[in-house]
Amino acid sequence: MSKKLFNFKRKEGLQGYIFILPWLVGFAVFTAGPLLFSFGASFTNYNVTSQMDFVGIDNYKSLLMDDQLFWTSLYNTFYYVLFSVPLTTMGAILLSALLNQDVPGMRFFRTIYYLPAILSGVGVYLLWMQLLEPGTGMVNTVLSWFGIAGPNWLFDPNWTKPSLILMKLWSVGGSMLLYLASMQGVSKSLYEAAEMDGASRWKQFIHITIPMITPVIFFDIVTSLIGGFQIFQEAYVMSSNGDGGPVNSMLFYNLYMWKKAFETFDMGYAMAMSWILFIIVFIITIFNLKMAPRWVHYEGEEK
Amino acid sequence: MVKSKKLILLLLIALLTLSGCAGFKTKNTSEVEAEAGEKVVVDFWSFWGSEIRRPVIEKIVDDFNKSQDKIEVKHTFVPWGDIWTKELAAIAAGNPPDVVINENNGTALRGMKNQAMNLSKFLEKDDISDRFYPELWEATLYEEDSYGIPFNTDTRVLFYNKDAFEEVGLDPEKPPTTWAELEEYAEKLDQKNGNNYERMGFYPLFGIESDVWMLNANGSNFFDEDGSPVVHNDVNVETLNWIKSWKDKYGDNAVNAFKSQIDSQQGNPFFSGQLGMIVQTPTFYTQIRDYAPDLNFGVVELPEREEGSGHTSWGGGFVAEIPEGSNHAEEAWEFIKYLTDVEAQEYWAVKNFDNVANIEAAEKAAKSEEMPEKDQMVYQMAVENMENTLLTPVPTYAPDFMGLIKPEIDSILLGKKSAEQGLQDAQSAVEKLVEKNKK
Amino acid sequence: MNPSTKNKHKAAYFDSTKNRKKVLVSINFVLLAMGSLLILSPVWWMISTSLKTMTEVMQYPPTFFPAEWKWENYIRTWEAAPFTLYTINTVTITILVVAGSVIVNSFIAYGFAKIPFKGKNILFALVLSTMMIPGFVTLIPQYVLFSKLHWVNTYYPLVVPAFFGSAFFIFLLRQFYMTIPNELIEAAKMEGASHFYIWRKIGIPLIKPALATVAIFSFNGVWNDFLGPLLYLNDENLYTLQLGLQVFKGQMSTQWNYLMAGSLLVLLPVIVLFFIFQKYFIQGINLQSGNK
Repeated sequence: MSKKLFNFKRKEGLQGYIFILPWLVGFAVFTAGPLLFSFGASFTNYNVTSQMDFVGIDNYKSLLMDDQLFWTSLYNTFYYVLFSVPLTTMGAILLSALLNQDVPGMRFFRTIYYLPAILSGVGVYLLWMQLLEPGTGMVNTVLSWFGIAGPNWLFDPNWTKPSLILMKLWSVGGSMLLYLASMQGVSKSLYEAAEMDGASRWKQFIHITIPMITPVIFFDIVTSLIGGFQIFQEAYVMSSNGDGGPVNSMLFYNLYMWKKAFETFDMGYAMAMSWILFIIVFIITIFNLKMAPRWVHYEGEEK
Repeated sequence: MVKSKKLILLLLIALLTLSGCAGFKTKNTSEVEAEAGEKVVVDFWSFWGSEIRRPVIEKIVDDFNKSQDKIEVKHTFVPWGDIWTKELAAIAAGNPPDVVINENNGTALRGMKNQAMNLSKFLEKDDISDRFYPELWEATLYEEDSYGIPFNTDTRVLFYNKDAFEEVGLDPEKPPTTWAELEEYAEKLDQKNGNNYERMGFYPLFGIESDVWMLNANGSNFFDEDGSPVVHNDVNVETLNWIKSWKDKYGDNAVNAFKSQIDSQQGNPFFSGQLGMIVQTPTFYTQIRDYAPDLNFGVVELPEREEGSGHTSWGGGFVAEIPEGSNHAEEAWEFIKYLTDVEAQEYWAVKNFDNVANIEAAEKAAKSEEMPEKDQMVYQMAVENMENTLLTPVPTYAPDFMGLIKPEIDSILLGKKSAEQGLQDAQSAVEKLVEKNKK
Repeated sequence: MNPSTKNKHKAAYFDSTKNRKKVLVSINFVLLAMGSLLILSPVWWMISTSLKTMTEVMQYPPTFFPAEWKWENYIRTWEAAPFTLYTINTVTITILVVAGSVIVNSFIAYGFAKIPFKGKNILFALVLSTMMIPGFVTLIPQYVLFSKLHWVNTYYPLVVPAFFGSAFFIFLLRQFYMTIPNELIEAAKMEGASHFYIWRKIGIPLIKPALATVAIFSFNGVWNDFLGPLLYLNDENLYTLQLGLQVFKGQMSTQWNYLMAGSLLVLLPVIVLFFIFQKYFIQGINLQSGNK
């Protein structure tokens, strides 16, 4: 009997490996090599074309001790992540809740809210630069209708990061897709039972919907954190060819890394930067994974 | 089951057709060579894709191809900015293009890092260095060897509104020559209506940034002959305080309002007489020509800080480089010679109203019949101003030093730091960077 | 309670809930409508800019509505570069990538979600880790790798990796798979089904909304991908749409109206697809999701 079980488990294990085989192969062929290379290069003064001498942990030491812009860029990035992740996650959930109703014209509404998420590319950033113009941009014009004097958005060092967060909120419809898909899976009978018990819509939302979609909330938070730490394109385009904005307020970690890699060609240094970021993000992700069982509810698993 | 069989069949057909598609054909370089036949193909990348510039460069390429039958130059447009990331990746992989247009302030750096090819071996046979403005040529040198051939450049000059001058009692033929005069004239030109400025005389940060003014004030760049940083000195403190005084006088609201109008090109207040004077590149004239043809304006070199300190101006520009690892360097060199020779350069200058690097071509363009009189006047002025123009190639031992200076300037102008303090901080930051890199 | 009173109570109960529902729906509608205006205004800006002449675009103060609606801008935009060719190129790449992404990732994710095997957690952590490396550092080594394979200036670097899974989609689908009750899987296993069979017959149908989401995200990703085509495509006749739009962005000045028109045109297929595909992840709001 136990032999049969053992064989079955082995067979199942084998099936598991087959299922993830495509990823393993892809990783081995396309990703592992470049990753190892970049890890190795972070201990050298690699500059792509003329040198690659071993320098030990000089790059790392230099970053942590001698480089004030390293800390500036880290601060800017943390700031951005700290505000954008909670705001966009909550925004997306609320939005999805609103869009999950049987309201006339729902298809149009969903398309409208999803629109910003697919408008990508340089054109959009340039568009927002126009919208955020202190004098005549649309944002300040609309604010003035309500008697609010809008700030100098992209020119005031205190407001540059909020400008980017605002821009991110505009495209909150992107993750709305995920939540909608997930809310679909929540059994109607649960809601009906709650209704019978006299629960208000709000209570239903808090006690049924939210717990049932925690797997996706978890996914959203983890990926938003990872993605937020990597913000680059916006800052590059919106701060005149990537100079980092007024008083370096938009010098995000990735932007600074890019400058080191492609403007001064300190590739080894830049690679060291990327591995430091990796460690930071890795720690945060592990933290998330550990905390997950406390609030993420997988219907399928008996956890 | 039938459905999935059909699907598989469709997939196979699709795959077969796809493999025939151009996008899925892999070629190695020798095959490409064979295809081109007898001619050597030179891969030329530029970022000139606009309606105006693209036809000009394409014609130059075409003329070169027609003029001989050994080399075929293939021009590809790669977007501005990203073109250099792509170039670097290609160099790393060992299959770079053969000619690339690059910014001249990084040429020496790229030479040092083995990204751009050392052109001495070609120059020994054809020394074309005296074709170009000396300042431009110097910028391409690293340890006395050239790594790029200058193609075009620009400068900064002062445009002023002659009618407005007359209106307020200034002599339209006597534009300001010193900073003090600049202030004085601007004061006269200012027209205030309550709290709003109906006309602003001048604002130093429209068109250029503080570092150009510091260049003008010092007559030199941030690094002295030994390579030590000179960021904090009395002249620079004075300069930044001077700029700040303009900012404080007009106030942020007025400045921002005017700035967005300037950015809108056609609504530039200079055209409507609402801005008396402005520093710009000579190509700004094309906007005047298109949007305000009747404007009575003048052009003059930048004022000097005080008499005798020099009308120093700043210029940028581009060069043609041969990336390290190119397989057709000889042929690339032939093309570059043509690209920077009188005929091609003059054509470029006239069609684009752009300052070119070739001295003879620039002077010919200024007298070209294809250019109307006004155009000629401005162009001539630009050519003459080359004497005053300094380039600022980045020092190879501290290429990203501006990233340390710029935030300090920002702080100073925002009033968060005194000019003295900010510049001192910048000085020590740059010194630290130089120390670090020299290790 | 006699039946008639019970019915009356029931009727009254449902009446009041119906009314409450109506009010909520209206509030909902109003909120959404107001929000839509906010969301759409930048889009309107794009549209109106695309219909202006360059002169009017540069006008100060800016106009909200174009003075003349220059529909011909769209034609001129299309003619500014071989956009038809670029469209075909982009469509080709996109179809391949989307097909690959949906199929392969759903396959891999099932493995991570429902099959116990040794080292699963470590490997999954590895998958997640690949998301945390900023793209730049692997940019050059990967380019060199593809160059050695002679894949530069072809579509291979843009298409092939999609058939080997992507961490983002694996993670996403794994989350959805984990909401499937284990009893279903166990029951099928009892009857001797292989995981392959379970994946096809149980897993996929139950996560259709997630698959549609992956399809849309993947489509977006490829359609709007700029860096990949930029790096790997050298011949202009292989360029994709996003790359083609760059001609309007010059060193000196940007051709705003054409750039906006182009961006909107490039956007159109995505919107249309999204609109159509909605039904796949909104499976009948009024029906009960049967299998659960």
